[in-house]
Amino acid sequence: MLKVENVLFTAAMCLYFAAMIVYFLFTALKKEKLSKLAIGVQALALLLHTAALVCRGIGAGRLPLTNQYEFAASFAWGLCLVSLIFILKFRFPVLGAFLTPLIFLVIGYAAMQSREVKDLMPSLRSNWLGFHVSTAIIAYGSFGVSAVVSAIFLCRTRMRDESFWGQHVPNREKLDLISYRSVCLGLLFLTFTILTGAIWAERAWGSYWSWDPKETWSLITWIIYAVYLHLRVNRGWRGTSAAVFAVIGFVCVLFTYVGVNTLLPGIHSYK
Amino acid sequence: MKKILRFLKSMKLAILLLLVLAAACVVGSVIPQRQAADWYLETYGLRSGALILGTWSDDVFHSTWFLVLTVLLLCDLLWCNLSRIPGLVRRTAAFGTPDRLDVRAAPARFETAADPEPVFRRLSMPKPKRLVRDGKELLFSVRGRAGFWGAWVTHLGIFLLIIGFALGQATKREFTVSGVPGQTLPVGDTGWLLQIDDFDVEFTESGAPKQFSSALTMLDPDGKAERGTASVNHPATLGGFKIYQNSTGTAARVTVTRNGELVQDEILCAGDYCYVLDTPMALIFEGYLRQGLERDDGVRTDAYAWSTWYDGVSGETRYQPEGEAAIQTETVTVRFSEPQSFTLLVLKQERFGGLALLGGLVTLLGLVLSFYFQPKRVWAERSGETWTVCGACSKGGSLFCDRLREAVKSEAEREETEHAEG
Repeated sequence: MLKVENVLFTAAMCLYFAAMIVYFLFTALKKEKLSKLAIGVQALALLLHTAALVCRGIGAGRLPLTNQYEFAASFAWGLCLVSLIFILKFRFPVLGAFLTPLIFLVIGYAAMQSREVKDLMPSLRSNWLGFHVSTAIIAYGSFGVSAVVSAIFLCRTRMRDESFWGQHVPNREKLDLISYRSVCLGLLFLTFTILTGAIWAERAWGSYWSWDPKETWSLITWIIYAVYLHLRVNRGWRGTSAAVFAVIGFVCVLFTYVGVNTLLPGIHSYK
Repeated sequence: MKKILRFLKSMKLAILLLLVLAAACVVGSVIPQRQAADWYLETYGLRSGALILGTWSDDVFHSTWFLVLTVLLLCDLLWCNLSRIPGLVRRTAAFGTPDRLDVRAAPARFETAADPEPVFRRLSMPKPKRLVRDGKELLFSVRGRAGFWGAWVTHLGIFLLIIGFALGQATKREFTVSGVPGQTLPVGDTGWLLQIDDFDVEFTESGAPKQFSSALTMLDPDGKAERGTASVNHPATLGGFKIYQNSTGTAARVTVTRNGELVQDEILCAGDYCYVLDTPMALIFEGYLRQGLERDDGVRTDAYAWSTWYDGVSGETRYQPEGEAAIQTETVTVRFSEPQSFTLLVLKQERFGGLALLGGLVTLLGLVLSFYFQPKRVWAERSGETWTVCGACSKGGSLFCDRLREAVKSEAEREETEHAEG
């Protein structure tokens, strides 16, 4: 089963690359048909990626969410899922041209990690693992989409309305709203992640919260997006400042994901 | 005074506090916490180490200033929430009544000759009420007014969560007990005793530990017994204590004989110590090494690692091969034997965990209300043969306008097609 997973994972990675190229061609050649093809290739990649994760789960006899490889592969999956939802919901295929490189980067990072299936330590043998990590994947994916949309927002002023970009990229108000919506989704799921993690920690170690670096950085991320929402909703702090803040928020997410696991010691550390 | 009170409930203060707390969290996660003072001075140098110690950055999350910031945030949340209630009640009520609807001031407004009722269905609005206002027919429907309360409920949830956590930390009682099967050990100074009946380690096919389980009996001060099993992720609740299977390690029996007579017999878990007879010398058991000691003849053997502590000075780690003695004098023999696994259990009594959990759930509910319950209202006013369909949405207004425009357009097209076919 793990050999099948290997083939599917590689195929998905190649298709993400192909989708990225087709999205680039769509923006370069300005042909509408290519956007549909790119979305189709991305959807197919997601399908194969899902199958790869399912095979991994069956082969390992557990949810594939426990080591760097599995979490990075799942993070890329979450990013792809959320990006497809937003591309289709807001009819915004250009978003794919900005997001597929990020997806390819994350899945490439996963490919560089060890794929060895190791036995889980007793504390990880819990049903809470599935809730805790899968909600984190959706949260991180949503924050990724938000950061990319905000980056597009920051470039939007240079796009003339009559140009290809002007016609295919929503106006600044709508971009701001899409970014806001993805932050909302991300924050909701991050709250889920923190809560399920706290409940699980209580079951395993007897403490809801112990200021482990991962816990602390999740809280920092939560606070940053909470401040973003307060400033944006109540102070009319929309536009450029909010977009910059959403990008900074995602940098914080990336540190919570990669930096904390590798640089700071704690129960989530891979050292 | 009024100014101070206004500032204490202001969002400006809330944002400031959140950012300062976030910065404090960064400091607390980057600087290792709760180390000995000397460690900071050695690791960071005299000046930086002194700064860390002087600002309590060595224990950020238990420092007075962190506590003060949290209390200020709580006050801000509470006052902000209390002061918003009247306004929210008024806003929720006003949004649900068609009294002050103004077609000209509507954020979205479209005219159609078609019957507007299907437009309400297309927008997933509830069936509209039919009214007559100023002699004009009016259709009115409202949805998602609970969304006005989203932020309020979220703040309430966070308030409960912090209060529950803080009360839990302040009032909890926690004890650690480690031992081997057959031992009965005191639970702190509570008068309760914990008897370890069995300790089992389950392994996977590859030999990695899969589960640790301890069969336990809690004995209350009157000797009444209650039995249960604690394993990782499955704590036991006995005698009002929640018992967590926390860890395991190696224990060994240490015996002291004087002139051939057994005078001391104890079980030591790795890291534990005992005083030898009535002397001030403590014997520390450090662990058991399987095939970990190479003898003079090159043969590897099992050994007990141990050290001494005497008059404030720690001795070097020494090794006692299986079957030999650790200390042998003319009259006294100290020997480690019977290596076995011990279980480490954490016993807790906490009353406010449920409140923190409730706070978390209320926060989630608040976020769902904030993000996914968007107060919307749609109304249509008839003027002759033409209907003016209007809509308003308190969040994401432009998207709702687009949806309303599309719904009106689709419905007009549908009616036109039907008319042509008919």
